[in-house]
Amino acid sequence: MSTKIPVGPFHIGLEEPIYFKIDLEGETVKEVDMINGFVHRGIEYLAMQKNFFQNLILTERVCSLCSNNHPFTYVMAVEKIAGIKVSKRANYLRVVADEVKRIASHMFNLSMLAHLVGFHSLMTQTMEAREIMQDIKESIWGNRMDMSANTLSGVKYDLDEQRIEYILNKLEELEPQVDEMMDIYFNDKIVRARTIGVGVLPKEDALRLGITGPTARGSGVNNDVRNKAPYAAYDELKPIVMLEEGGDVYSRMRVRWREVKDSIRLVREAITNLPEGEIVTQRRPHIPAGEAVTRSEAPRGELIYYLKTDGSQKPERMRWRVPTYMNWEALRVMIPGNKLTDVSVIFNSIDPCISCTER
Amino acid sequence: MYETLKRKVKTEIKERLDKDSYQIKEEIDEKGNVQIWVKLFNKKDILHIAQIIKDFGGRCVIISAYKSKDDDYVLVYHLDIDGMLVNVEATATDKKIDSITPILNSANWTEREFKEMYGIEPISHPNPARLFLDDSIAEGILAEYMPLSQAMNGAATCCMWERIESERNENEY
Repeated sequence: MSTKIPVGPFHIGLEEPIYFKIDLEGETVKEVDMINGFVHRGIEYLAMQKNFFQNLILTERVCSLCSNNHPFTYVMAVEKIAGIKVSKRANYLRVVADEVKRIASHMFNLSMLAHLVGFHSLMTQTMEAREIMQDIKESIWGNRMDMSANTLSGVKYDLDEQRIEYILNKLEELEPQVDEMMDIYFNDKIVRARTIGVGVLPKEDALRLGITGPTARGSGVNNDVRNKAPYAAYDELKPIVMLEEGGDVYSRMRVRWREVKDSIRLVREAITNLPEGEIVTQRRPHIPAGEAVTRSEAPRGELIYYLKTDGSQKPERMRWRVPTYMNWEALRVMIPGNKLTDVSVIFNSIDPCISCTER
Repeated sequence: MYETLKRKVKTEIKERLDKDSYQIKEEIDEKGNVQIWVKLFNKKDILHIAQIIKDFGGRCVIISAYKSKDDDYVLVYHLDIDGMLVNVEATATDKKIDSITPILNSANWTEREFKEMYGIEPISHPNPARLFLDDSIAEGILAEYMPLSQAMNGAATCCMWERIESERNENEY
């Protein structure tokens, strides 16, 4: 007998509004339909009414967990059009901000996984460890979410000896905790039982649908922008691409944990080898007419910005695409064939961000 | 890293498209990343381009639509082959363009989005349903002025309560 079950738009098992129509046969999902558009805010239109400096503030508010990547990619597009050179120091500082954000974002998603599989003590443990990253953000950038690190032609913050030491000490505190938790997440019976073989995304489907980020890397597809098309200081600080072959929730979880470890290494490497130089090269740059496309690797995957200018103070057209926009369609492949109770676990495994998908 | 790939892609474009039907330029940034920019004069050629991208195992990243200064609808396709971006510009004056979703599945959402935002129709799209906007909102809404209270169907203002209030009185006997 088949049953239809609606999940959403506002549902206890979902963090953000989305509407699933699930066709069940017994306990198994036969088909899933998704309806979205509950948090469409028209930010793209708004961006075209604001000038280049105001858009720094606006783009940072598109999404909370990858808030740093939006202004980061946006400033790269403006700099490309205006031909602005960014100092090496600023590029390193951009990477530091980005990787700190990545660690915090991944750990949030991983703690949600623990929550959804019913392992609540592990969830609190992960969130508590994540607080170390939140402390860093609050102490260095003055905010726990929107760091406001980027500006046109450079960054808004600088690191001195004392701050570098502070970050290093905090990472020293975090790393053993990460190691301990990785061991639990990778080997614990409950986590393994709820994640291995659940929500499988085959490699061919990942390629066909243009899936990005840890979701793609969990299926063995490497399209890490930091590696494929390096930007800022990623050509010097080489990130290691984490690939897993399983394509299930477990593999995606493994990719995220391994990336957390690698990001800790990248932050350490960046702040201990910080080059000398100015943090901002031009205070009030002129933005000529032109168009540019830039990309960066947000915690959830590839983020792309298209910017077209006409020589005025405002963009003629600005368009961006966040990773969840692509990863969404993967759910149609992942969910059918699984148990109803696994839907929220699978949904969480693409690390969805609905408010930035719908803008 | 991209030299050979770039050359191969350019040769394919040259072979499959008419000589005068497109313009091509390339851009290399300071990190050595290559981007190819193609401007199509015949919008039908987008299907050829999509096929080339598919043959190289590429994907559609996104399509940016906008209304140009001369009121033409312009679409910029951002396509990716193993980290190299191919940006293809096509003009859809009659607000119609062939859908590339049957060739590149990754273009599915973005074609639906420019349909609802700009009213440009992707011809023979497998699933041309609305993506984000409700059916009650007209197509091509991005070009129009729409008050927030109307967009939210009065959900955040006194309008909603007034409506509920009036309906409630109607139902009471």
